[in-house]
Amino acid sequence: MSTAEDGRRPKRIALYVVLVAMAAFYLTPILTGLMTSITSPESYTGQSPYLPPLEPLLPGTGSFSLQPWTTALGELGRGLANSFILVIPATVFSGLFGSMAAFGLTNVDWRGQVGIYATLIAGIFIPYQAVLVPLTQFWYNVVPLQSLFAPLTVLPFVHEYHWKLVALIVTHTAYGIPICTLLFRAHYKKLSDEMIEAARLDGASVATIYRRIVLPLSIPMFAVVFIYQFTQIWNDLLFALTIIQFGDAAVVTQELVGIGVSQSGTNFPLRMAAALLAALPTLVVYVLFGDKFAEGVTA
Amino acid sequence: MAELTLDSVTKVFNEGGSDEIVAVDDLSMGIEDGEFLVLVGPSGCGKSTTLRMVAGLETITGGEIRLGSNVINDTSPADRDIAMVFQSYALYPHMTVRENMSFGLEESTEMPDGEIRTKVEGTAAMMGIEELLDRKPADLSGGQQQRVALGRAIVRDPEAFLMDEPLSNLDAKLRATMRTELQRIQEDLGVTTVYVTHDQTEAMTMGDRIAVLNDGVLQQVGTPLECYHTPNNRFVAGFIGEPSMNFFRMTLADGVLSGDEFSYRLPADIESTLGDATDLTLGVRPEDIEFASETGDLDEYDYECVVDVVEPVGESNNVYLRFADAPEAPTFIIAISGMRNVSSGDRVVATIPPDAIHLFDNRTGEALKNRSLAAVDGVTPR
Repeated sequence: MSTAEDGRRPKRIALYVVLVAMAAFYLTPILTGLMTSITSPESYTGQSPYLPPLEPLLPGTGSFSLQPWTTALGELGRGLANSFILVIPATVFSGLFGSMAAFGLTNVDWRGQVGIYATLIAGIFIPYQAVLVPLTQFWYNVVPLQSLFAPLTVLPFVHEYHWKLVALIVTHTAYGIPICTLLFRAHYKKLSDEMIEAARLDGASVATIYRRIVLPLSIPMFAVVFIYQFTQIWNDLLFALTIIQFGDAAVVTQELVGIGVSQSGTNFPLRMAAALLAALPTLVVYVLFGDKFAEGVTA
Repeated sequence: MAELTLDSVTKVFNEGGSDEIVAVDDLSMGIEDGEFLVLVGPSGCGKSTTLRMVAGLETITGGEIRLGSNVINDTSPADRDIAMVFQSYALYPHMTVRENMSFGLEESTEMPDGEIRTKVEGTAAMMGIEELLDRKPADLSGGQQQRVALGRAIVRDPEAFLMDEPLSNLDAKLRATMRTELQRIQEDLGVTTVYVTHDQTEAMTMGDRIAVLNDGVLQQVGTPLECYHTPNNRFVAGFIGEPSMNFFRMTLADGVLSGDEFSYRLPADIESTLGDATDLTLGVRPEDIEFASETGDLDEYDYECVVDVVEPVGESNNVYLRFADAPEAPTFIIAISGMRNVSSGDRVVATIPPDAIHLFDNRTGEALKNRSLAAVDGVTPR
């Protein structure tokens, strides 16, 4: 008894030391950001990033202020709204289309499906940088989306610049379909073939089988896809810069680029507060759906 | 309710490729309206493939399948009006039992919801599962799930039932109960049924007729007792019957069959039916071999044997015997009454009566002579 326990103890201590060190490594930047974001910009010295701003108790740390957060909220407000307008439809559509594609490629038998699937998967590996110029050409010169979208501006809350968001939604949906198809296919391969055959014999068409049997059984996988796509699309800067470029339609990642930077210097507390604010929605999504994500990806 | 006809049906997988497989080879048979036909054979014999072709889940490489007078080769499974029960039950896990049973009616008919509800409840009552209607499959036992699968097929009132080894996943006792119940239900409903199994006991007890398949080729179609007493060939003779028939390889010369284990004089009337075949297999069923425990005088067809292993089944004993003159040869089985006591090592006398033997041509496997049924009595009424 004693030898087993004795042998385990040092190993256990070593394990915890490593874990704590790794956690500290990952969390330190966030800690710094948090501490900086609650410092008032005027008193910010940048000299003790890890300490909370407790002037005059701790000299050099700056005085406590929530002003950076309120300013950030004001300045990022429209960016946040635009990001939500972008992310929700893009996530839902890429998930839905990925699920339909995976169903058609996995549970239904037809000629040439392996080739189509291989092409779709190749799509995952297209580097975003390679398609930037064609994308700009597509949305600005080839497809007259701006003029097509103009009539919809009569609806309440719809502005003229929203056409750029529509373009971005379509782009993200398209580029999200391959990975969503891959994720759903792994799940659908495990569905019982006999169950699908039973549905066919019961008289259901392929579309009905999808709607009434496969879709309800995919809910766990939708959670996974939702988290993944939400994070990817929300955090994307490259496509946003390419398609929206600048102006009223800018999403939060774009606005983060320039916030707090001016002729008179860099307002670090504001930048930190803005960064944390922009990261908040993905954090909330992860907290709410995180365990389903871990389950779904390993399954 | 309709008759099902398979006309030279063939199924080839990977046609033309290097791994081409002929799963079903030129199968022809007719199933009458209301008949319970059992497709039986060892694993890989093509029985499930045949069933799936009838269902429309596999394409047909050659031949025709007709339901009634309609050729259904190219009809989609949904339009064939056929219901299938799968070995794994294939229930929809996210739906309740009621929804599982209603699904087929909702998708393949225009029946109004009220009527569907009544039908489902009626069938559930017939299957004894009314209390389970609002539960999900995951909450049911194997036997209950099987009843739901059956109920789901019954409620559709189809032209034919197809069953792919539905009892295989049940424990032995439940299997025996469900066998009887399935038969009763099929008789009550009078629906043409094709039932696939590898278990020859199920085949014998359930079928109006059985069709024995091996390697994609139909070996025999007939009533269970026809296949048992008058098998077409060696395969059917060995497959049907448990414990299975004993086979002895013999050569015929001058009216005497000689083999490694023993010699057997053939009566003249049997010899004349054989044609010129000389390389034969003698088959005799375990229960047809007579048995005496003392070694007294030996008559023409008596053989001295030593008991090797005794398997008590309860109502009978399966006794493995070795010929006293051929101790290295394999043992053969006889079935005797469970009330008779034998032990390993006993010296006994086995008699192989000539009217109980089957003879098979070794080249073709064909049965040249089957046992005579002249001695079988009917039940005389009082």
